[in-house]
Amino acid sequence: MSHMLTKKLPPVQSVLFLVSRRASQLSRQRYDVIVVGGGHAGTEAAAAAARVGAETLLVTQKIQTIGALSCNPSLGGVGKGHLVREVDALDGLCGRAGDWAGINFSVLNRSKGPAVWGLRAQLDRQRYREFIQAELLSTPRLKVLEGSVEELLVSDPNPAEPGHHRVTGIRLANGSQPISASSVVLTTGTFLSGSLFVGRTSSPGGRIGDAPSSSGLTQTLRDQLGLRVGRLRTGTPPRLLKDSVDLSLAKLHPPDRQPTPFSFTNTQTRCKPEEQLPCYLTYTTPGVERVVRESLHLNCHIQQDAKGPRYCPSIESRVLRFPGRSHQVWLEPEGLTSDLLYPQGLSMTMPPDVQLRLIREIPPLHRAEIHTPGYGVQYDYVCPTQLSPALQVKNTQGLFLAGQINGTTGYEEAAAQGLWAGVNAARRALSQPPAALSRTESYIGVLVDDLVSRGVTEPYRMFTSRAEFRTSLRPDNADLRLTMKGFELGCVSAVRHHEAVRVRCSLQNAIAALQALTMSSTSWRKKLPGISMSENKSQTLSGMDLLEYKDVSFEILASVFPECLSPYMEFSQRLKIEAVYKPHNDQNRSEIKRIQSEENMSLPQDIDYFTLPVSLSQEVREILDRFRPTTLGAATRLQGMTPAAIANLFNYVHFTRRRESRRKQADHEEERGEEPCRRNASLPQ
Amino acid sequence: MYYSAIMLPVSAVCGGIYRATIRTLRTRNIPLNHRLSSGGRVLAGLADADTIFALSSGHGRCGVAVVRISGSAAATALRCMVGLGNQLPPPRTALLRSITDPHSKEVLDRGLVLWFPAPHSFTGEDSVEFHIHGGPAVITAVLQALGSVPGMRPADAGEFTRRAFHAGKLDLTEVEGLGDLIHAETEAQRRQALRQMSGELGRLYQNWSHRLKRTLAHVEAFIDFSEDELIEEGVLDQVDISVCDLQTEIEQHLKDERRGERLRSGVHVVIAGATNAGKSSLLNTLCQRPAAIVSPIAGTTRDVVESALDIGGFPVLLSDTAGLRDSPDLVEQEGVRRARERVQQADLTLLVVDSTILPSEEQEAAALLLEHLRSVLSSQDQSGAGRCLLVLNKTDLLPEAQREKLNLGLRRVSGLPPVCLISCQTNEGLKDFLTVLQSSVKTMCGDPLSGAPTLTQARHRAHLQHCVAALAQYRRYRDSDLALAAEGVRLALTSLGRITGRVGAEEILDIIFKDFCIGK
Repeated sequence: MSHMLTKKLPPVQSVLFLVSRRASQLSRQRYDVIVVGGGHAGTEAAAAAARVGAETLLVTQKIQTIGALSCNPSLGGVGKGHLVREVDALDGLCGRAGDWAGINFSVLNRSKGPAVWGLRAQLDRQRYREFIQAELLSTPRLKVLEGSVEELLVSDPNPAEPGHHRVTGIRLANGSQPISASSVVLTTGTFLSGSLFVGRTSSPGGRIGDAPSSSGLTQTLRDQLGLRVGRLRTGTPPRLLKDSVDLSLAKLHPPDRQPTPFSFTNTQTRCKPEEQLPCYLTYTTPGVERVVRESLHLNCHIQQDAKGPRYCPSIESRVLRFPGRSHQVWLEPEGLTSDLLYPQGLSMTMPPDVQLRLIREIPPLHRAEIHTPGYGVQYDYVCPTQLSPALQVKNTQGLFLAGQINGTTGYEEAAAQGLWAGVNAARRALSQPPAALSRTESYIGVLVDDLVSRGVTEPYRMFTSRAEFRTSLRPDNADLRLTMKGFELGCVSAVRHHEAVRVRCSLQNAIAALQALTMSSTSWRKKLPGISMSENKSQTLSGMDLLEYKDVSFEILASVFPECLSPYMEFSQRLKIEAVYKPHNDQNRSEIKRIQSEENMSLPQDIDYFTLPVSLSQEVREILDRFRPTTLGAATRLQGMTPAAIANLFNYVHFTRRRESRRKQADHEEERGEEPCRRNASLPQ
Repeated sequence: MYYSAIMLPVSAVCGGIYRATIRTLRTRNIPLNHRLSSGGRVLAGLADADTIFALSSGHGRCGVAVVRISGSAAATALRCMVGLGNQLPPPRTALLRSITDPHSKEVLDRGLVLWFPAPHSFTGEDSVEFHIHGGPAVITAVLQALGSVPGMRPADAGEFTRRAFHAGKLDLTEVEGLGDLIHAETEAQRRQALRQMSGELGRLYQNWSHRLKRTLAHVEAFIDFSEDELIEEGVLDQVDISVCDLQTEIEQHLKDERRGERLRSGVHVVIAGATNAGKSSLLNTLCQRPAAIVSPIAGTTRDVVESALDIGGFPVLLSDTAGLRDSPDLVEQEGVRRARERVQQADLTLLVVDSTILPSEEQEAAALLLEHLRSVLSSQDQSGAGRCLLVLNKTDLLPEAQREKLNLGLRRVSGLPPVCLISCQTNEGLKDFLTVLQSSVKTMCGDPLSGAPTLTQARHRAHLQHCVAALAQYRRYRDSDLALAAEGVRLALTSLGRITGRVGAEEILDIIFKDFCIGK
C-alpha cells in the first residue's frame, strides 16, 4: 500500500508560480472556508476543509514557507506520535508527510508497552515542505493565496445561532476587495503580537525571516470581539554548521533498523532503512551554567514573566532550575543534504556572541560555528476556554482558531487542532452540525477537551498521562477508532474508509477465531510445550487468553492452527496487542459509556448562569459563567464544581429538554389534529 | 423520610455486621479515574445498568427490616428468591411469602414482599421491597443472597435518592433540600470528614495519597519522558520499592481486626453453650432486665435474642442463642443453626458452661472444657479461640472448695481461654467477669485515643482493598507492559482518592516537573 511513496511529487516551483496570484486575480471573491496561516495547523485545516467539500482558500504570507518546520526537524514522540497517527487516521497530511520526509525513524518506549509506543522521526526540512506544498496545491477545491490579512470582517450574528458576532470574511493588507467566507480559521501561530528576542534587543515578528503580521488582526480579536488573550513565550536553539562539530566526541544514536511508518496507508517509508541518518547525544558542562549566569543581565527574554513551557525550557531555565547537573543535548540532522545540525535542548536567547561562547563549552562543539543564532518569541494566545469543542469562538459565529493561537506548543498539537477546526469550519459552511470527538476515543478529543474546558496556563503539550483511557487509545488502533467516524464527517476518502473497514472486519474475525479455540490448559500445554502456564489444570482457555501470555505470539498460535489463523497473519502484531489490552479495556467500557453519556448532554450556550432558577452557589455560578462548558461532562471537569451543582444543573437541563420535547410532541399532534389519547385507545391490544 | 432513605443504607451496608455484603463489594470491578471526578459520582446512576440493593431500615434490634432493591434486575431477584412461579405479584400489593436463597433454595425468612414496577416506585425504576425479620442473621443472609444474583450490587451512599432524583421523582424544592446531602460528597467535605475522623488517620491516608501521587508521577515521567531525558531506570526501582512499601503498609492497616469499625458499630458478643447452662440468665444479668425468657426447661430459647449494652464506654451488641444440642424439633434445629451461625460471625463468644457438670479433678475438667470449646467453635479458625471467654455458671451450687480448685486450677491450663466463675443467681463473681469482658472489648475496639490509627468505616476498607489489589497489578505488569503497570498505580490512587479526594492529571505533571529536569 505504498502507492503514495512511489508517486512523483509535482514540480513544486512551477505550481507555486501558477497559484501565487494576487487577490484581484482570484477566480472568486467568496469561499466557504478561509484559512489564515500556512503552518501545521493551517495546512491541515485547509486540506481537511477541502476534503469535507468546502471551497477553501488558504492565505499565507509566503507560499515558500508553507509546511516549514520552524523549530525542531522532527515529528512524533511519546503522546505526539499518537496525535500524528490520529491525524492520519482522519486522512490528514502530517503522517504521510513524515513518512515522505523522515530520515531517522524510531519507536520510543519500545519496551514499555504498545499503548505508550511513541512513533518518531527526524525530518528532512526540504522534503517535508515539498510534500505539504505539493499535496495542498493538488487538493481539489483548495486555492492558495499569498498575502497578509489586514482585518477580519465581522457583522451582526445570525439570530438563529448563539453568539454575539459573525465573521463574514477577511480583508488583505494590499487594500484589495474583501474576500467573503462562511467560516474563517485563524492559525497565526506565534505571529499574534509576536516579538522576537535576542540578547537585549527585541523586534516585532513571529519567526526570524518573516514579516510581522498586521496589528489589525489582534485588534479585531481583542477589541471588537472582546476575546481574552494571554501571553506565552517559546524559543529555538542556534543552528550549527555540521562541519564545525566534532561528532566523534558525541555518542552515536542509531535509528531503528526497520523504520515504522506514521501513516496507516504506508507499509514503508521513502527513506530506505540503510539511508537513515543517526542522531548524536552529548551533555552540558559546568561551563555552560557559568556562561548562563554571567550573561543573565544581557538576556531580556529570560527576565520576562510570560510563561514558557516547563517541558521545553531554554538552556537558561534548565541550568537555573536544576543547577549543578549535566543536561542532555541531542545533535540532530536537518536533512539528507543539509549542512546544518540542530542542537535539541539548547534553545537560548542570549546575545549571539555569548551563544557561541556557551556552545563551545560542550566538548563536541569546541570549534562549532553558528549558522543562525537562537532566539525567543513572545506572542499572544486566545484563552481557549472561549472556544467550543468544534474550536469555534463561542461568541463569534464562523470564527475558528487552531494551533499556537490557542496556547499549545508542538507541530502535532497544531496539526490535530488544524484538522479538527478545518472539518468543523467546512461543516458549518455546508450547514452541517458540528462534529464532536470524545476524550474517551482519541487524543485529539483529550487535547480539545483540555483546551476548551480547562484552558492553559503554559504552552500545552500532549502527554500520554493526560489520557484517562490510555490503554484503549493506542497508536496501533487509531484507524479503528477514527477512520470510520472521519468518513461520516466527510474528511476521509472512500478508499481509506474501505481499507479501514476491511481491517476492522479481519480483526474481528481473527478475534472470533481465537476465542473459538478453547481447550483445557492441559491440552494447551501439550500443544505449546515451551509455554509456562500458572493457571490450574481444569481451566478452559481460549486462543485469546493464550495470546495474552508474554511468550505467546500470534505466529506461534498460527503455526499450531494454520487452517483457522493463517489468513490473519498480516495482523499478527495488532492481534497480540489486542489480546494483552482487551481485559483492561473491557473493564473500562462501562466507565467510557458513562462519560460519553455525560458528554452527550449539552448545556445551552446562552444560559444566564447568574439568574438560573437552580440551587447553585455564587462561586459555582461564576465558574460556569467564566468557562461556559458546552456539555455536562465538561462541567464535571471544571475545578471548583461541586457534585451538588452538577446534579442540579443536570436536573435543570434534563427537565428543560423533556418539557421541550413534550411541547414539540404536543404541537406535532395538534398539527395532525389528533387527540393523543384517542390514538392510544385505537391501538390494537 | 428522604433522610432515612439516604443515610441508612450507608450505615447498614457499611456497618460492621455485614461482612458478607462487604465481601461482595470487594469483588466488584475496580472503578476508574473518572468515577472520581466530582460530578461523575453524582451521575453514576445515569448510565449505570446495575441493580442496587440495601437495607433501608435501621440495624440492631428491630422487629422488621426493609430491604430495598432497585433496577432492571429487581424482577429477576424477586422471581428467583420468592416462590412465585413465573408470575410477578400484583403491583404495590403486600404478599406474605418465603424468601429463599436463589442457589441453595434454603428458606431464609418469611416476610412481606412488595413489587413496584417502573415508573411507579421511589426511584422510578423497577423496585422490590422485602419486609423481613429484623435479626442481623436474617438480614445478612438476605443481603448476601441478593449479592449473588447477577447484575446486583450493594447501593452506594445515597444512591436510591440519586436515582429517584434523576428519574424526576423529586421536584425542585425537594432537590434543594437534598442539596446538602449530596454536597456531603464534595471533595472539600470529604477531606474535612477525613480530617475530623481522627487526626492521625487523616494524616496516614494523606501520607499514602502523597506517596502514591509521587510514585505515579515517577512512572508517568518514565513513560512520557525517559526516552529523551535523563530519567534513569533507577526511577523505576524506587517506584518498585514504594509500591511494595505502600502495599505492605495498607495491608497491615487492613489487618486491624476491624477495631475502628467495631468502635463505630458495636462489638458483637454472642452467648453460646449447651442447653440449660444459664445463657439467658447471663443475658438478663448483664442487661439488668428480663430480656429473655428463663426457665428450667432445656431449649427455652429458640431464636436469637439481642440487646445493646454499654460496657465500659464501648458499644456492645449482645445476643443470646439457643442451646446447642441435637433436637428432633424442627424449630429448635433452626434455632441451633442460627446460634452456630452467630458464633461464627461473633467478635467475642461467651461460652457458658454449667459448672456443676464439670468433673472435680481439674485436668479432667479442662479436657472436657476444651472438647466443648472445639465443638462450639468448630468451624472457626484458630484465632477464634482467642475471641472466647469461658463462663462457668451456677457456682452457687458448688462447694466452696471445688470452686477454689476450679478457679485456680483452670487458670494454669494452657490452651484455655480466660475462665470466669459466676453465679447468675447470686451475682457472685460478676464483677470480676465484667472486668475481664470489658478488657476484651477494649482490646477489640482499640483505644481511640492512642496507638496506631484504625479504620472506622467499611467504605474506607473497601477502597483500601481496591487500592492494594491495584498495586498488585503494577507488580504483575512491571516488566512486561509499563502502561498496564502504570494503570495499576492510577487505579490505586483513584481508590485512595475516594477517601482523600480526587487527583487530576495536572497534579501529576506538576510533580513530574518539580522532580525532573525535562528539557526536550
